[in-house]
Amino acid sequence: MIDQQLVTVTIDGTPVRVPKGTWLVEAAKQIKREIPVYCYHRKMGPAGLCRICLVEIEGMPKLQIACNTAVTDGMVVHTQSDKAADGRRAVLELYLVNHPLDCPICDKGGECDLQDYAMAYGQGYSRSVDPKVSKPKAVDLGPTIVLDEERCVVCQRCVRFDDMIVGERELVLKDRGVRNIIATANGEPYRHNFTGNVTELCPVGALTSKTYRFKSRPWDLRRTTTTCTQCPVGCQMHVDVRVGVVQRTMSLEDDDAISDGWLCDRGRYNVGFYDDPARVTQPMYKRDGGWVQIGWDDALDIWAAAIREACAVNPASVGVVGGGRLTNEEAFLLQHLFRAKGVANLDWRAGSQRQASPGRNGGTLVDLESCDAIVLIGESPAERAPVMDLRVRKAALQKGAKVIRIASAERPYPAPIPSTDVATVAEAIKKLPKDPKRIAIVWDGCDADFATSLLEKLPAGAQVLTYITGEQANARGAEAMGMLPFSEPGYGKAESGLDAAQMFAAARDGKLAVLSIFGANPAMYRADFARASFTAVSDLFMTETAQLADLVLPAKGPFEKTGTTTNMAGDVLPVNAAHSLETPADALSDLEMVVALAEKLGVELPVAEEVDAAVLRHLAKAPEDFTLGDARFGTSVILSPSKDPERRRKAHVEGIAFNVVVQTRVFGGGGTSAHDARIAELCPLPEAAFSPEDAAELGVNTGDYIDLVLDSVSDVVQAHHDNVGHDLLVEVRNGMPRGTIALIGGLPDSPASNLAGARVSVTNIRRAPEDAAEAIGAPA
Amino acid sequence: MSRKNLYNVGALLAGLGVTFKYMFKRKPTIQYPSRKKKHAPRFHGLHELRRYGDGKERCIGCELCSSVCPANAITVIGAENSPADRRSPGERYAARYEIDELRCIFCGMCEEACPTDAIVLTPRFEMSDYRRGSFIYSKDRLLVPPEAGTGLAPDDRPNGIPSDLGRVAEIKSTVSTDEGYDATWRGTILKTQTKGLAE
Ligand code: SF4
Ligand code: SF4
Ligand code: SF4
Ligand code: SF4
Ligand code: FES
Repeated sequence: MIDQQLVTVTIDGTPVRVPKGTWLVEAAKQIKREIPVYCYHRKMGPAGLCRICLVEIEGMPKLQIACNTAVTDGMVVHTQSDKAADGRRAVLELYLVNHPLDCPICDKGGECDLQDYAMAYGQGYSRSVDPKVSKPKAVDLGPTIVLDEERCVVCQRCVRFDDMIVGERELVLKDRGVRNIIATANGEPYRHNFTGNVTELCPVGALTSKTYRFKSRPWDLRRTTTTCTQCPVGCQMHVDVRVGVVQRTMSLEDDDAISDGWLCDRGRYNVGFYDDPARVTQPMYKRDGGWVQIGWDDALDIWAAAIREACAVNPASVGVVGGGRLTNEEAFLLQHLFRAKGVANLDWRAGSQRQASPGRNGGTLVDLESCDAIVLIGESPAERAPVMDLRVRKAALQKGAKVIRIASAERPYPAPIPSTDVATVAEAIKKLPKDPKRIAIVWDGCDADFATSLLEKLPAGAQVLTYITGEQANARGAEAMGMLPFSEPGYGKAESGLDAAQMFAAARDGKLAVLSIFGANPAMYRADFARASFTAVSDLFMTETAQLADLVLPAKGPFEKTGTTTNMAGDVLPVNAAHSLETPADALSDLEMVVALAEKLGVELPVAEEVDAAVLRHLAKAPEDFTLGDARFGTSVILSPSKDPERRRKAHVEGIAFNVVVQTRVFGGGGTSAHDARIAELCPLPEAAFSPEDAAELGVNTGDYIDLVLDSVSDVVQAHHDNVGHDLLVEVRNGMPRGTIALIGGLPDSPASNLAGARVSVTNIRRAPEDAAEAIGAPA
Repeated sequence: MSRKNLYNVGALLAGLGVTFKYMFKRKPTIQYPSRKKKHAPRFHGLHELRRYGDGKERCIGCELCSSVCPANAITVIGAENSPADRRSPGERYAARYEIDELRCIFCGMCEEACPTDAIVLTPRFEMSDYRRGSFIYSKDRLLVPPEAGTGLAPDDRPNGIPSDLGRVAEIKSTVSTDEGYDATWRGTILKTQTKGLAE
């Protein structure tokens, strides 16, 4: 902020010096004096609706609301005077006239502002003799939220959140007077990536989470503060555990640097997989085509023997894939162990992403807010780094930044967010605001063409900040820790090895003897790695990859281990094991596995203090002088669009052939979200999106079912030749490039991930059953 | 025997006098367990979870009893009623309700805290068993059978507020000491005899 003029205000006899224009509620916080509020929220500012924040200001005839009164010099305020207390008591009495007082069954009970204020300021009885107005209870607002209309105090925080922060404007206030209620516009299900936040914003128990409904009371929960590792944003969160099970997660309101106080629904709700019965609880070994459970000692012996034998012959026939879902310490030790054995084939990149560190121009998340223009390339950050996307929205909605999307096949931003879709880099440059001071480039880390050419053409004089949203939470940490075939920890040059795609090709050609995969699921994209003579996979579940392996090792999840993680902006964040969370007795963290394996292999690993120091040293170091699309990262990734013209043959079925684009959805990922019964409803249906022109030409509408036929068969797709997509729900999406079909990747039982870059045509167009069509919002 | 001791015969006789006096008095000993003593009306013994007259459980799984319990003896885990299988009026019921009777100090605070008069302490006191684990009473042993329910469910009342709470508090338990009772609602294993209750 520019130089602030400080003023002095006296609150309850204590003088406070604050910048001019500070709201009185905030000034009072500085002397730890809490003024009750309902409608005011630090991130959304005052609304002046609820009148609970009444205070007495000397010289003013009536009580004033503290949330919407800016301090002035010499102001004398009494927050606890009789007059102020009287005012609050009167306001509370009115709030309670129609309140159902069902605290005993209310999920907010124990942390409810209405309860707390009624205890602190209320009069303890009601003068009302008429029956209460009753309204609907347990209203199903959408897949995540339940609304109790009777408890609502109409503070409109939820409505304002949807409007000011998310920009979706789904929640509205309906009807008038005592009958006014919260509802969604058009009565559609309340559904976007940030719905869970309204349960924390709601000062009462009107909006509650379905997954936490009646599960616990606030005082039963053991709380741990940790980092969400579902995506590379790394939001800080509280994990609340009861009876050994994660009951809920909560945001940290003062986490301004990373999450801005919000969580996305994936991070908030996808926490129920820890006690899923499908978890791997014992090392599993494939013998004669069937799985047998074995002990850790045997598992480590088998694994170590395979590595030892292969290394003795040729260390180049050993490969390691993974690291993007491990902690920094785990990734460091992993590469340390294998490099000590002479193995150079190390890569974290098990999907479509080729780079995770933005290099010299990387910005912080807060910097995004002060950009004049934000250019989005590739997959939408809304699906890959949702809470970072909230910053983009904040910059656009509140600070007037211009959002430009290049050649995006994604759904457009909701209408209130001013965004522009362009097809080429040249057009994007044209749309930039005049003399921009700061431009942010947000890239998905996959196809570098747009990013590099954009970087070249940006106007000189503007500061450029780069961001990479990615698939794996700690991808940047894994890179800094040396889980790359060409670099050692801290981006030091290493003896060059094969990257993941080359390893897979080597496996297909029978040149890879042992492959170890840690927390990655490349089988979603291609399965040829399984031709390595021995594959070990460490995971929580029997993923597609684990099923193809020879040895499966039960791993611990992120709430079950301790370490650090690196987010997309390079912040090093703590990962803490949740108190009293029940973990399968035989699951080991990847760190414990690596240590045990090192012992069997006779490699001496550095002790914990050395590891911690090394990790911090490498992460604190300024990144090497590279930027987006650096050549060292190569172009070969496991899932890459096919550039081979031979495979782009002309279509023959029903006329038009489409290029497949595979997209991430927040809840689309197989892995953990497939093993969380509580959020099953959030998993998207397999769908296919077309541009309106293509849809018209084909004669399909939103809500139709189609099947796909392969036009060209790549070896990647081959394995799934007979199942390339049935019953795909059509969505006609504005702004999509022509000749493209967008499919959702990562869904269980859907082959979409394997189809990236393939050419397909559409067949068998028919109307989808009603419920399926409804899910996609088709007109009835 | 010294001469002095002879003088104590008087004391001996006095003592025997007491003995003989009590020999002919009413005996306080009761032939437990075939006979049982009548309890004070507010005796605090084993808990029971009550139902409404229509068979629905009174307990709404609110955990107030477990929060107030000074001995930390109660564990409640709530869940949502499904329309197909409604356990209690309203939205919430106790999916798990457990009291560790070995921890309980029978203070009756849980009874005081309960907003629906679901948990009450009965005069039942015979809980002996051979295993510690069996002193953890869960719903299968605490909940009274449907026919023992009492009072109108709040569903049937304007604004859902039960008005009979006071009355239920008065008829504190389903146990009639006059008629004898099972030690728990488990069944008839410990049915006591009605005859011989102290008058
Ligand atoms: S539902 Fe909650 S947040 Fe929304 S207006 Fe009502 S009380 Fe406020
Ligand atoms: S944005 Fe990412 S880090 Fe934040 S809560 Fe969502 S999944 Fe977790
Ligand atoms: S009687 Fe007292 S000690 Fe026993 S369960 Fe109730 S509150 Fe706890
Ligand atoms: S017994 Fe009463 S206080 Fe305890 S959980 Fe049930 S309703 Fe609540
Ligand atoms: S907080 Fe001041 S009017 Fe609502």
